[in-house]
Amino acid sequence: MKESNFYSDDFEQLIREKTEQYKMYPSEKVWKGVHSSLHTKRKWFFGSMAILVTGILFYAGKELITPTSHAGPIKKIASLTTPADESSSRTVATNRTHTSFTTYRGNTSTVRHSVQTDADLSPEDQQYKEVNITVSHPVITQPDLSEDLSHKVNLPSEAPALPVIAGKTGFPEAWMAKAAEEGAPAGAVNSGIRAGTEGSGTVAPAARTYTDGSVVAAGSNPTAKEVIESLSARGTEARTNLAGRGNLANTKDGQDRTIRKGSISGAAGEGAKASSEAIAEAIDRQRINWLHDYAVYTLTPGPQRNRTYLQLTLAPTVNYRNLSGGEVSPKAIQQGGPFSPMRSGDASSYVDHSPALGFEVGGSLLYRITRNLSIKGGLQFNFSRYTIKAYASSPRQTTLGLRSPYGYFLDSITAPTNISNLGGSSLEKLNNDYYQLSAPIGFELRVLGNERLQVNVAATIQPTYLLNTNPYMLSPDYTSYTKYPSYFRRWNWNTSVEAFLSYRMGGVRLQVGPEFRYQLLSTYTNNYSLHENLKGYGLKIGITKVLP
Amino acid sequence: MTEEAILQGCLKNEAAAQRELYNRYSPKMLAVCYRFAHNREDAEDMLQEGFIKVFSQMHTFQNKGAFEGWIRRIIVHTCINNLKKNKRFNESLDIVHAHGVQVREESVPSIVQAKQIVECIRILPIGYRTVLNLYAIEGYSHKEIADMLDIEESTSRSQYTRAKQMLEDILVKKRILPQPREKTEWLVAVR
Repeated sequence: MKESNFYSDDFEQLIREKTEQYKMYPSEKVWKGVHSSLHTKRKWFFGSMAILVTGILFYAGKELITPTSHAGPIKKIASLTTPADESSSRTVATNRTHTSFTTYRGNTSTVRHSVQTDADLSPEDQQYKEVNITVSHPVITQPDLSEDLSHKVNLPSEAPALPVIAGKTGFPEAWMAKAAEEGAPAGAVNSGIRAGTEGSGTVAPAARTYTDGSVVAAGSNPTAKEVIESLSARGTEARTNLAGRGNLANTKDGQDRTIRKGSISGAAGEGAKASSEAIAEAIDRQRINWLHDYAVYTLTPGPQRNRTYLQLTLAPTVNYRNLSGGEVSPKAIQQGGPFSPMRSGDASSYVDHSPALGFEVGGSLLYRITRNLSIKGGLQFNFSRYTIKAYASSPRQTTLGLRSPYGYFLDSITAPTNISNLGGSSLEKLNNDYYQLSAPIGFELRVLGNERLQVNVAATIQPTYLLNTNPYMLSPDYTSYTKYPSYFRRWNWNTSVEAFLSYRMGGVRLQVGPEFRYQLLSTYTNNYSLHENLKGYGLKIGITKVLP
Repeated sequence: MTEEAILQGCLKNEAAAQRELYNRYSPKMLAVCYRFAHNREDAEDMLQEGFIKVFSQMHTFQNKGAFEGWIRRIIVHTCINNLKKNKRFNESLDIVHAHGVQVREESVPSIVQAKQIVECIRILPIGYRTVLNLYAIEGYSHKEIADMLDIEESTSRSQYTRAKQMLEDILVKKRILPQPREKTEWLVAVR
């Protein structure tokens, strides 16, 4: 390497010796950088999981904390009112917002109309200023139904034309009745209408062709009174006339505009005009509210959805085991045992085991019994693993103690081994792998949330078949490991519990949540002295789709 | 854990074995990087890059020499590659006479410490320092240095001669080394 004699120069030798003695200790971030670049798969895995969980939690927070509401249209209505009415408008809005999602609202909505200040009102209108219009309609404010409605009915951006509304509702009767109850002068409303009528207040002519076949000819010029009467006459009919429900929403915008443009151009005095405008505005507001509520109410129930779902799941798991047994039963000692050496005490304290990663993959069919409860059954595959630190040793025989399930009989067999638990020539790291096929049967219960976002719990019992019988067995005296396939239990029972967050996205439902799985019976047969119960913690990710 | 077990573990990409290897060699290797680098941060960056290469090229180690030497060569090459990205470094290799190295005369302990030597080496201009590191400490020949640094072999020799002279001057000025007339006796005494 070097043409010169390196140590010929004392100075060079000194430099080299001293620099070789010098050590510096790097900061931890150097190792982190090295480690993260070497184990990118793990980094990607955890990164992906973190993004997934964060995303789901974000949607969970968004949907659970600030669910979709219909505050928009309500605010719009409120903005049309004078300050004096804001409190009542807020009341309406509050009632809607706080209405239970799952119950029909049978209460009444009251809108107090005072579109002009007292000073602006004519003496004739002063008596109408406290008119209360009450609409009695059972309505649904459940956000999901509204959302469903928006999917099923192509609602226009604006509310339908007044005559159409009038034809579908009977609110004027209730309105007038309520007005009478509130002490409004008899005929106050009617007088307003009458005034409009007398003043030749007309709705602008327009050709209106209704989807139920009725046609109002252009130029028929229905007056406000006629409109109200029309409301009364057709209100009852509307409740049973399901044919026109969907079409209601399809009313042409042109019709709306026609009605909106329809001017009540009364010539019999400003007071009558103001009253007519007030009523028209009240009707307009009510029309918007009605559309919002009644359209949902009269919606035909959608086609019955299939109750059967297909669910596919995948879960990375961390697996371990519970180890017990190995102690000598007092009964056995009385009967002359033991025949094989055994140690007393907790087996776990004699061994060096550690959890390892595995996975679970499966598919299930779910049947939705009720809105919140589903039963399921399916098939799943589990790969479970834990690691054993042991020592290589020279081949020898180890004794495996056997006993009856109740500890009455003791026996022993010998098995060859070259793996020692307590000491040996070199350290060995063994993997105990288990491949299991299970048929989980259980249920899922929705405990929180709506149709879109839910928190669920689920539990299953799983008849399980062990596919491989070659994992290592700890000898009852804890000194060695060996393989003895005939002492593995092929059929077993597992149980699992899980909680998960599910989110409906399009036609599928995605879910993620923790899962715990426990093997109820020992991995080994009953007559083996040691008992091992596998357990696993997983993060289950699933997708559920309704079957056609 | 034996070195053989560590190597086997590293070949299996086991994090525990990699950590053990890192713990064992990183202090020495960081000192190597520090002699080449401008500062500690740069040295740590070089160390990180070097160890990533070590672990990723572990399968190329053929047990023909000392494992530490193999790691060291990777680290040194990583340092050189990093330096060569620096324009100032390339320019400094062409400088025949380094000037402007100000060394304060100060009283220092009479016992020569490794850290003092290293710090004095780091005072040298980067071109001198690199050649000195490679030749005197890492044991590369001038031909190898010339190949590594893309310079003439003669340049490497001259750089080394001047670097050595300058380092001696620095050590004398810092009173780490005695005056030249006392040098031989002093070295014997230190040894």
